Amino acid sequence: MTRHIHIVKVHHLTLSFPTRKDPDPRPVLDDVDFGIRDGEILGLIGNSGSGKTMTSLAIAGLLPEAANITSGSIKFAGKDLLEMSPKERRAMLGKDIGMIFQEPSTALDPLMTCGKQLDEVIRAHQDASVTPEDRRKMVTDMLRIVGFTNPDEIYGRYPHQLSGGQRQRVLIAGAALLKPRLLICDEPTSSLDTVTTVSILALLRDLCHRFHMTILFISHDLSAVRGFCDRVMVMKDGKIVDMDTTADILNHPRNSYTAELLTNARLDTRNLGLEPATVDYSKSPVLTAKNITAGYAKPLFGRSKNKTETNNVLHDVSLEVFPNEILGLIGGSGSGKTTLIRSLLDLLPHSGTVNLRSSSVGAIFQDPVSCLNPAHTIKWHMLEALNASGKKRGKVSRSERKALSLKRIITVLEECGLGEEYLTRRPKELSGGQRQRVAIAMCLIQEPALIIADEPFSSLDASSSAELLKLMTDINRERNTAFLLITHNIHIVRQIAPRVIVMSDGRICEEGTTSDVLNNPRSEACSALLEAERRVHGTIS
Amino acid sequence: MARAKKNSAEKTPEASVFYIVGLVLLGIVVAAFIVSLFWTPFEPDATDAASKLMAPCASHPFGTDNFGRDVLSRIMSASKYTIFISIAGVAIALALGTIAGIPAGYFGGFTDRGIMLIGNSIMCFPGILLALVAVAVFGASVGNVIWALGLVFAPTFARVCRVGTMEIKELDYITHARVMGVRPLRIMTFHIFPNLVPQLLPATVIGLANMTLFESGMSYLGLGVQPPDASFGKMLADAQAYVRVAPWLIIFPALMLVFYILGLYFISEGLRISLSKGGK
Repeated sequence: MTRHIHIVKVHHLTLSFPTRKDPDPRPVLDDVDFGIRDGEILGLIGNSGSGKTMTSLAIAGLLPEAANITSGSIKFAGKDLLEMSPKERRAMLGKDIGMIFQEPSTALDPLMTCGKQLDEVIRAHQDASVTPEDRRKMVTDMLRIVGFTNPDEIYGRYPHQLSGGQRQRVLIAGAALLKPRLLICDEPTSSLDTVTTVSILALLRDLCHRFHMTILFISHDLSAVRGFCDRVMVMKDGKIVDMDTTADILNHPRNSYTAELLTNARLDTRNLGLEPATVDYSKSPVLTAKNITAGYAKPLFGRSKNKTETNNVLHDVSLEVFPNEILGLIGGSGSGKTTLIRSLLDLLPHSGTVNLRSSSVGAIFQDPVSCLNPAHTIKWHMLEALNASGKKRGKVSRSERKALSLKRIITVLEECGLGEEYLTRRPKELSGGQRQRVAIAMCLIQEPALIIADEPFSSLDASSSAELLKLMTDINRERNTAFLLITHNIHIVRQIAPRVIVMSDGRICEEGTTSDVLNNPRSEACSALLEAERRVHGTIS
Repeated sequence: MARAKKNSAEKTPEASVFYIVGLVLLGIVVAAFIVSLFWTPFEPDATDAASKLMAPCASHPFGTDNFGRDVLSRIMSASKYTIFISIAGVAIALALGTIAGIPAGYFGGFTDRGIMLIGNSIMCFPGILLALVAVAVFGASVGNVIWALGLVFAPTFARVCRVGTMEIKELDYITHARVMGVRPLRIMTFHIFPNLVPQLLPATVIGLANMTLFESGMSYLGLGVQPPDASFGKMLADAQAYVRVAPWLIIFPALMLVFYILGLYFISEGLRISLSKGGK
């Protein structure tokens, strides 16, 4: 096979989504021109909507039907991909170009065992001469390579029996089985916690050397490319704005947009002006939880067999949140963070007591897509929150009350950085960051003393996260609202939370002031988290 | 470029194609119904011994039946019952189904099991048989037909609502509403129900079509609309004896029935396509 310096050469690619109403829209990809060198790991960084996923789909030939390539070409190892027939391209997929997607929970068929799914991959691309025994051996070998110590057991497991990180490993095994020359990874780690992220990145790098693969690594997190990518490309609004070696980009960004991304990725308090309120620990806490034990019930028919056995996720957890405080709650996936807040919010049956010194408690959840009701406008959402708080009763006429509520809604929305024009919009017209803002506004209008935020940053890109973080600290300072911030981003906790709780295996393993806990970790779980954080984001002074 | 466009020929037809065909077919029946409210060429029930079993001609475009009644006039007045019974029946089924299905999905557990037990008990009998028994017991009248069919169809809607609710209740905005302190009844009516509409709409239109089939079946068996009022099913039953000598007695009511049902099916298919595309 001839070797080319560039395994993929994208030449002045312009792509748009024309519709009948708008036959000539703004291009999604605008004159994109770059090459991926053979054997390198190229990072493709950009905020949501910058066109990074479209670029990867164009290379893989998986563009949506409505997409229209108006100019340019894509060459893979010298062959023009756009001139190929669909059949030829399909044959290339998997064999020459492999892909790994963001969401490991939906990328595997829940009704097929992992081994069977990997077996399908080989069957689809190889002639019938390979015996089932050979195929099985290939699959188990690959499972061992991607880091499973018990490949035969994993072979027979269903996806729901694996954790997110394990599923991602199975998917990587599937992509690596055919030893593709190019592996496209579309945010493979953004739904994983830091510890798992580190191990997955190490695995990808190892595979890259072992099979001489080229990797196109897509991420919205500029800091994730540290120590992983050889070169980095920054995209904005469908254009490539910057391209350099990783070290140069991270240490001496020349482009102003790259510099901005970098600042946001670091979430630097000094640059953002984050000033959390000072906390008075002598006051009585807003939330006191004592000895919380909770778990998920067994299915209805499983119960009769073993009545005494419980499936507890949380064991005897106690915590206090003081007024004005931002309390950080960190822990790896599966440590029981989400179960804890669901118990605190009384959404889950639990034993133990939860005492709230406030009529209402706000909550912000992880997923900005489903946090708002798609059937209603923002105004409806805000009114619903206001009415549910039940605070507006007074001796005023209906129309007056309406005007008053509207005024309050607008004030709160403006406080959250959204103007009056958002009132009539529907959730699908908003970006992820804007939706999270509306969710916060809905909490604020109820004037809670405590807002529980469950990983609000994990689905947002760096810029939106930074803005949201600033909004949260502003609210904390100006309204004296306490926050219970659940996150796996230790860096954020370090910047804004004076006190932190570390959870592991459903228990609180460490608790204390942030500097104390993070500088002298005493538990194994905490040191593991810190180590992973250091490897992903670099040392932060 | 050209090759990127080629693939689009293979994809499913646009929703608008289904809408247009469906609305034209449905429009024929609805137009007949609307006109019949003000005017019919002849009195639908007026017999005329002098013009029995007349083939279609200038004065009787669709011919006459064995009593000399004008088929066109009778078809026009029959469309009234078809449309009325199907809409009223589906409205009852939809109301019952939604009221039962959403709580079943929302609360789960015993509520769910209890409600679905009733629903499944109804569904395990052939629908038409159950409706026939109900009408036979309570007497054959338009009102009873509507009630009976409404009950028979309710479990289908309940299932659609239940499954939809089970999906939606796990989403963050419902959890959010619960945390905010919104009451369950309000969550079900204002937070969940509007999001079920995309699933309920095609089901409703299909329900209308199926309801019409059932109604014609019952009228055909003499347990639906009672003579002398006209209905498509009854007209088909009456025309059976004359199928050789007067085929127009069968052709025209049957065609109207086909137009109505096919029109509804096309519209529901169009709805399904357009809602699944732009639903999110």
